[in-house]
Amino acid sequence: MSEVQIVENMVDITIDGVVCKAKEGEYVLNAARANDIFIPAICYLTRCSPTLACRICLVEVDGKQVYACNSKVKEGMNITVDTPDILAERRAMMEVYDVNHPLQCGVCDQSGECELQNYTLELQVDSQSYSIPDTKRETTNWSSVLHYDPGLCIVCERCTTICKDMIGDAAITTAKRGGEALDKSWKDNMPKDAYAMWNKLQKSVIAPSNGTGSTDCSDCGECISVCPVGALVSRDFVYTSNAWDLKRIPAVSAHSSDGFAIYYETKPAAIEDRREKIFRVTNEWNFVSLDGAARFGYDFENQDVSKDETAFKAAVEAMNKAETIRFNSVITNEEALMLQTLKEKKGLKLYNPEVRPFQNFLKLYNEASGASLYNGTTDTALKCNFVVSVGGALRNDSPGMKYAFNNIQKMNKGAGLYFHPVADKLIPTFGKTVETFTHKAGLEEATLYLLLELFADADKLPSDVKDYLAELGRDNLINMLGGDADAFNKNFEKMMKKKDSFVLMVGEDYYGHAKAENLAKLIVLLEETAGFQVVMNPPKANALGVALICDLDDEATGYTVGYNENGDFRLSALGDAKGDSNVLDMPAMNQQEGTFTTLSKRVVPTNVALEYNGYVLNDLMAELMDAPRETIEWTPHLPTDKGYQAMAFDDMLNTFDNAGRDNRGYLLNVTYDEVELPKVDKFDEADGLDGDIVYRCNPPRQFSDFSDKAHQIFEPFGLYASEDRAKELGEKAEILFKNGKITVDVIVDAKMEGDIVALSDFKSAQNVYELFGASRYQKVTIRKA
Amino acid sequence: MVSTIFLTATALPEVIWIGVIIKAVLILAVIAAIAGFGTYIERKILAFMQRRLGPQHVGPFGLLQLAADGIKLFTKEDIIPQHANKFIFSIAPVITAATAFIALAAVPVFPDFTIPFTDILVPSIASDINVGILFVLGMMAAGLYGPLLAGMSQGNKWGIIGSARTAIQFLSYEVVTGLSVLAPIMMVGSLSFVDFNDYQTDGLWLVVYQPIAFVLFLIAGFAETNRTPFDLLEHEAEIISGYVTEYSGMRWGLFFIGEYANMITIGVIASIVFLGGYNDFLFIPGWIMIIGKIAFSFFFMLWVRAAWPHVRPDQLMWLCWKVLMPLAVINVLITGLVIMI
Amino acid sequence: MSLEQFKNRNVGTQNYVKLDLDHSPTTGWCQFKQVVKRTFKPELFVGLGVTFREMVNALFRGKMHTTQYPFEKLPISPRYRAIHDMLRLLESGNYRCIGCGLCEKICISDCISMETKYDENQRKEVSEYTINFGRCIFCGYCAEVCPELAIVHGGRYENASEQRASFSLFEDMLTPIDQLNLQQEYAGFGAISPNADENVKSTPLAY
Repeated sequence: MSEVQIVENMVDITIDGVVCKAKEGEYVLNAARANDIFIPAICYLTRCSPTLACRICLVEVDGKQVYACNSKVKEGMNITVDTPDILAERRAMMEVYDVNHPLQCGVCDQSGECELQNYTLELQVDSQSYSIPDTKRETTNWSSVLHYDPGLCIVCERCTTICKDMIGDAAITTAKRGGEALDKSWKDNMPKDAYAMWNKLQKSVIAPSNGTGSTDCSDCGECISVCPVGALVSRDFVYTSNAWDLKRIPAVSAHSSDGFAIYYETKPAAIEDRREKIFRVTNEWNFVSLDGAARFGYDFENQDVSKDETAFKAAVEAMNKAETIRFNSVITNEEALMLQTLKEKKGLKLYNPEVRPFQNFLKLYNEASGASLYNGTTDTALKCNFVVSVGGALRNDSPGMKYAFNNIQKMNKGAGLYFHPVADKLIPTFGKTVETFTHKAGLEEATLYLLLELFADADKLPSDVKDYLAELGRDNLINMLGGDADAFNKNFEKMMKKKDSFVLMVGEDYYGHAKAENLAKLIVLLEETAGFQVVMNPPKANALGVALICDLDDEATGYTVGYNENGDFRLSALGDAKGDSNVLDMPAMNQQEGTFTTLSKRVVPTNVALEYNGYVLNDLMAELMDAPRETIEWTPHLPTDKGYQAMAFDDMLNTFDNAGRDNRGYLLNVTYDEVELPKVDKFDEADGLDGDIVYRCNPPRQFSDFSDKAHQIFEPFGLYASEDRAKELGEKAEILFKNGKITVDVIVDAKMEGDIVALSDFKSAQNVYELFGASRYQKVTIRKA
Repeated sequence: MVSTIFLTATALPEVIWIGVIIKAVLILAVIAAIAGFGTYIERKILAFMQRRLGPQHVGPFGLLQLAADGIKLFTKEDIIPQHANKFIFSIAPVITAATAFIALAAVPVFPDFTIPFTDILVPSIASDINVGILFVLGMMAAGLYGPLLAGMSQGNKWGIIGSARTAIQFLSYEVVTGLSVLAPIMMVGSLSFVDFNDYQTDGLWLVVYQPIAFVLFLIAGFAETNRTPFDLLEHEAEIISGYVTEYSGMRWGLFFIGEYANMITIGVIASIVFLGGYNDFLFIPGWIMIIGKIAFSFFFMLWVRAAWPHVRPDQLMWLCWKVLMPLAVINVLITGLVIMI
Repeated sequence: MSLEQFKNRNVGTQNYVKLDLDHSPTTGWCQFKQVVKRTFKPELFVGLGVTFREMVNALFRGKMHTTQYPFEKLPISPRYRAIHDMLRLLESGNYRCIGCGLCEKICISDCISMETKYDENQRKEVSEYTINFGRCIFCGYCAEVCPELAIVHGGRYENASEQRASFSLFEDMLTPIDQLNLQQEYAGFGAISPNADENVKSTPLAY
């Protein structure tokens, strides 16, 4: 296995007399931005398709006016950003945008960071030439988090574009405004592009695409983020703060394993309460798109904590007494290193049922491939044009991968295959060249054999595998996995046209699989013979960091200290320590600094957003053994043999550059050893599970107790089922596992299909991991309760 | 008439000691009260002349301001500076106040009267000694020892400057005061105030015969009572408070009472010597006349304070030695010549 | 303006303007004449006359100057910057503040803070507004920056209080609703200039 190589041809272009290097095939606008040259543009989003809604990016290329957002660079291009004609056009466009735009900037949430304000000033619009009667446009709430004021909307379509091209929900679209038609005389009396833009603007407004008044989406809030004006705001944030009052703290989302770069925006909570409070989360929306948990799950802080000495003494005593520490993946690399140090120095067991299977799988993969870690990242995945997702509920488990899967379809003219036992209605909508397979749980090996059959270079395959594949037969495999062989084969031919880069997204189902070793070997085989790059989705938050740093044990024994988990003594950032002598407060992720290891193998720093005055894990460490004074002094000591660098926390950058390069922290070093192709085993079709099956899976936006604590995350704990299945089950269901039972509410997930039901695991108190064991699928008995 | 300067036995009414004591107590009480009341009057008059209202809120028309000030003065801490000569510092205010009242002993203040249903005659004058006017002027001059000693005893630079100024004022104006009343004395031929009064009973007021002496006496009187324009001893703008810089509470209050008592004394002398005394005037009874005259001279002092700026010490001495004294001497000479002729 | 005159530090060579004073007498005769002139000039009596006249004016002609301050108050200049007033809209009686937060931002002593929320009429509502008068330096920037002429400086200059915080509460600063007709426009910092209309560019309207 080897590193992913991305070859980019560079060309020379001239922008305003400056000779610049640009990637071949890149849009002029992006090339200019990468070279720090400003071309005004409102509607363009870096990683999405150009919409041509605003037309302000008009530039002159070799004497011809073109739009910078949709013309690609060519060698020797000569670009002029401003000419008198173009300036007149741009000014006219800004005047048009200002027609009937409410002048209540004073109350607008976007005031101060409004692109309409900025460009109106930038283009020196000091008078208005155009007018048209306004249409009454009512403010609406689209969902539990989205608030839309069409009066402020300039229909730049950035929200619809990001929702379609990046998020994949396509939950909003342009709709008819019902405004008065433009007077024809304008056509002759104003610049051409401005007229065309106005004509379109006057007719449209944004609305949920399902025709109802509310959006049917994952509530990621990315549309809010990209809105240049105050039209889209989160319901919670409306009119609560001015942009300029907020302090931005660069941080990392603590929920999904994507490690999204976010900014916590804080200011004092109220006049009476001067403690800092997070008012919202923002992001560099041109370069990173957040999921709902990252954007709205921010207020999980452990408030009002002071140094409780009795609890601390009890904690020290408990740590001395403990045989096991149980923890989860919502933990920084530094804390993981502390726990590992405890294991090494005091012989404690580290028990983490979330990460243990993943760690195991990484080891199996490492043994089979010789690579210390999988070779892909989300960034490299975004450049591929064929994407295959296996073993993960893409929509629920890993928003970043879902965005990449979708973006590949939209931007790279890509194709995709989605294999999962739980059918999802959303994935097929990503593109016409997306095929989904709803196979029986337990037949994961078969999916990989099908992929070998579809993609592997037959010459490279070992002969026994080749024979086995021939024995199985392609159509038989397709049908076995729930596909329709004839239809698929026809479509697959189309899908494979002009495809040269392949990415395999591996989900959590594989890690705890009974045949994990064989799955790992098959993946390696697929890499070696079909040229796939592989991205694995660490189960949650910092699971990759924990897997690399900690040496986890299979079970907990004896006296257990739980860190945000159940235990005989608990260290808890969940705010449930108050008055309980068996619990010591810990800082939540928005109250501590440290690093995360993201899905993309990047070690990224996160900073303190909110005050915390209690004890931290490092204080306990200092009490138990020789520990540095600050938590971040552990950062340079992260294990270099696992790919970490001896870089100090304060030396890490936390930015993107204008070209969109992620400069946060550093990438893990991955080593590739030459090994022989692994010997893979055959599979048994009888492994497919039948009957009542429960899948351990959270609803979108829910990852842990912390996301659950946030007040804008509404998804409850429960049993998620497709509409039909939920009807059968009624309101409450009792699930009988081999080793226990649980009674939960049944909740409809309209995007689910089939009979498999999904049981949430984000509440640590419910101990769902114990019920399931390593595998995410369990055959159970479900009763109405 | 020259011979009348010599003492002559005057027919005094029968005065028993109890009457004198009553008179003394009366003078002490009334004059002290009036002196205090004078502060109220002064503040009121000065306010009116500057178109202000003056004290107004304590009692009707602010009349009880006096009581408020008194309470304040009595209850204030009595501070004696560490390096002051404590004995002299303590008695200096007493000298001022005491001399002011002693001087009043020889001044006729009210006409004689008998306490009803008794034989006790309360004389118009507590002690009608035949050197009355000399005694009064002498006592007033002695009163200047108060400021002099106070300034020197307190161990304060401003106090020293204050007493130095006391000394020059003292030296300058005693001469003029003496010379200015000498002319009327020559005309009346007696040093007794009663004689002055009687001298004017039938004739014109002495001010008509001695206008220059009157003016000189007034000017000297201002100086003797430390009133503007000659308030050099404690001029706030220049030397903080001069001789009273270190005084507080009732000791400071005694200086104040002394000053106001002296103002009244000067008013009484001026009224009796120059302005017709306590004789009836037309239909107006004499006791009203004398009160009116004293009141006017008191008012005049306040009026002057409101209108005129004060002078420098050098101007004070220049005025005294080069202008007033020669004038006084000439006046005495002319008076003498006229009497002789 | 050049700084030349400030850089010349040779005291005495500057162009001082001298008052046209009388010359001092030089000879003895002149001095004597001056003394005589001053002696017989009725200046002193003029002074006495003036003070007496003023007393009569004060007592009998109603020209007393004194303002009995706590009981009587003089009108204060509209430009005076005392405790703030929060004005209301004359038509509706609603307060003018729209919660834009500019005063909070511009405040150089950082004494204004406010809380806003989305109200049931879909408008921005100011739910809390405070000025910390312990820190306020009455510079007037808030009144100047206010786009709605909502926060202005009032005339209430008596700031004695048991606590600085109670110098003024939002409710105290707000025009009482029953005195709306007495509300005065503020003429100081931030007021509309008299020629404001001339400076406005008109925008075409399609109605």
